[in-house]
Amino acid sequence: MLAYLARRGGRMLLILLLSSIAIFYSLRFAPGDPVGVVLNPLALKEVRDAYRERLGLNQPIYLQYVVYISNMARGNLGVSLVNGTPMLELLAKYGTNSLILGLAAVLVSYLIGIPLGVIAAAKRNTWIDQLATGVGILGMGIPNFWLALLLVYLFSFQLKLLPSAGCCSLQHLIMPTIVLAAEGTAVTMRMMRSSMLEHLRQDFVRTLRAAGLPEWQVVGVHVFRNALIPVISLAGLRLGWLIGYTLIVETVFNWPGVGYLLVDSVLRRDYPVAQFFSLLLVTVVVLANWLADVMYGLVDPRIRAA
Amino acid sequence: MSAIPSGQIAWEAQEVAPARPSRLARASRQLARNKLVLVGSTIALLFILIGLFAPLLAPYDYEKQNLLAPLKPPLTAGHLLGTDSVGRDTLSRLVYGIRISLLVGFGVTLVSLVVGTAFGLLAGYYRGWVDAVISGLVEFTWGFPLILIAVVLVGALGPGLTGAVLAIGLINWAGFARIVRGEVLSLREREFVQAAQALGVGDLEIMLRHLLPNVLAPALVMGSYYVALAIIVEAGLSFIGLGAQPPLPSLGTMIAEGRNYLLKSHWMATIPGLAIVLLVLGLNLLGDGLRDVLDPRLRDE
Repeated sequence: MLAYLARRGGRMLLILLLSSIAIFYSLRFAPGDPVGVVLNPLALKEVRDAYRERLGLNQPIYLQYVVYISNMARGNLGVSLVNGTPMLELLAKYGTNSLILGLAAVLVSYLIGIPLGVIAAAKRNTWIDQLATGVGILGMGIPNFWLALLLVYLFSFQLKLLPSAGCCSLQHLIMPTIVLAAEGTAVTMRMMRSSMLEHLRQDFVRTLRAAGLPEWQVVGVHVFRNALIPVISLAGLRLGWLIGYTLIVETVFNWPGVGYLLVDSVLRRDYPVAQFFSLLLVTVVVLANWLADVMYGLVDPRIRAA
Repeated sequence: MSAIPSGQIAWEAQEVAPARPSRLARASRQLARNKLVLVGSTIALLFILIGLFAPLLAPYDYEKQNLLAPLKPPLTAGHLLGTDSVGRDTLSRLVYGIRISLLVGFGVTLVSLVVGTAFGLLAGYYRGWVDAVISGLVEFTWGFPLILIAVVLVGALGPGLTGAVLAIGLINWAGFARIVRGEVLSLREREFVQAAQALGVGDLEIMLRHLLPNVLAPALVMGSYYVALAIIVEAGLSFIGLGAQPPLPSLGTMIAEGRNYLLKSHWMATIPGLAIVLLVLGLNLLGDGLRDVLDPRLRDE
């Protein structure tokens, strides 16, 4: 067991190291001059050169990388090129917003997706099942930014019920959450449904029925609990996709979260911010995948032997 | 002890056994599935034709602005789907947008299919350290959000379709590799492979002539889903400004441009969005159908 954890853990660290190098190098090779972000484009060459010297951009890239890592290790995470805000402050401010949105979306996807999946499986091939499956297909097919615009048109412009963008009240939270949760709900529902169907075929179901348990108890309690396991243990993998979609949803709704910050910093060429938050998000994804791996191994001992 | 007539046992056993759906029910269910496939394939084919013949179908040059006729609604004279904020014809931009989406979607997926299948074949056939390295790569890319990678790549390469295409290609191959590897692992123990090996057939020939055709079916099923995914991701990236740049009429860019005019001229955003939804739906249905036809094991029975 411990060996399994150690193997996966070592692999994870290797991946993190490689990712950080990849991100660092790719951003450094980007066209456009970080100096140009801060200084007036008409600034004198001497001033620009001096600033480049100061930012350490004249050194070979691998040295820059080493300097960057050692700075990070010492807690100096850098500041934004645009307004000089230190990274941790940005993280605190934008990070909490993203967390709120993310948690809301995850809650919605599970609270709606799981019951729908159970019902669809229990009433298989009836109109309920077709409807749920149809909703599922739609949820996965509609581009979320388009769904966002549809909702904005309906609820903000026509019905004038909700604000179309911004932060941070409950009304502001509703539409971004719905959009972000859409794909997750569809996937959760489909996974729950096929998991339930698979478990409904097992022998113990027949035994429980023969023992006289009411149908709702057989399905709703016993089968459900077993079927839930694979759905939950795949939650870690879903986090990666959630983060990806958050980038778009936050940008559409101007919700000031980490995704919004990342996209904005890439568009504005604010390299320190882009780099740090790319690395942060990649780390979160890798950690989540690793956790999902570990959880799956815990739940299903056959995986551990692999 | 009285003998229990066997007929009675059989009768009672039948009472307890769950009712099997009648053959008619099963056959009609299969037909209904195939109807979906028909619909899906027709839709997908329609879009492909539109994309192919875009230069012939577009009444105007998609770049041509006409500042005297901006924001015309659909069904105006001369502009079937209206115009956008600078007077460009929506229909022309739509067909070219479809073309771009399809080009990106199919192009990238084709490349990922080839690369992924190659790696899957190698990993499944040779096993050992080749498999370890390739599987490690696959697992690494498997959980990565496409959009995040795309944003980083665009940060490196500058905005434009190149970053989007690279990102999608870099991630999607893993899915193909996974499936192909699984198939190869189960196939290589079969007799025809062992026979070929005993006959001294070279590894490459085994992989290409014997394994590849069997492996292609599930790969193609995945392929149609992946094309749909690539199209959505490209549209999303273009929407936030990191994909196709104006004046290129990517469907995502069109939606982004339409966003500012949502209140009064919503068709600018609605129409390209509908196009994406239909296209993706068609491709998904096509994938479901291919799966039913090519590999009934995967079917949700």
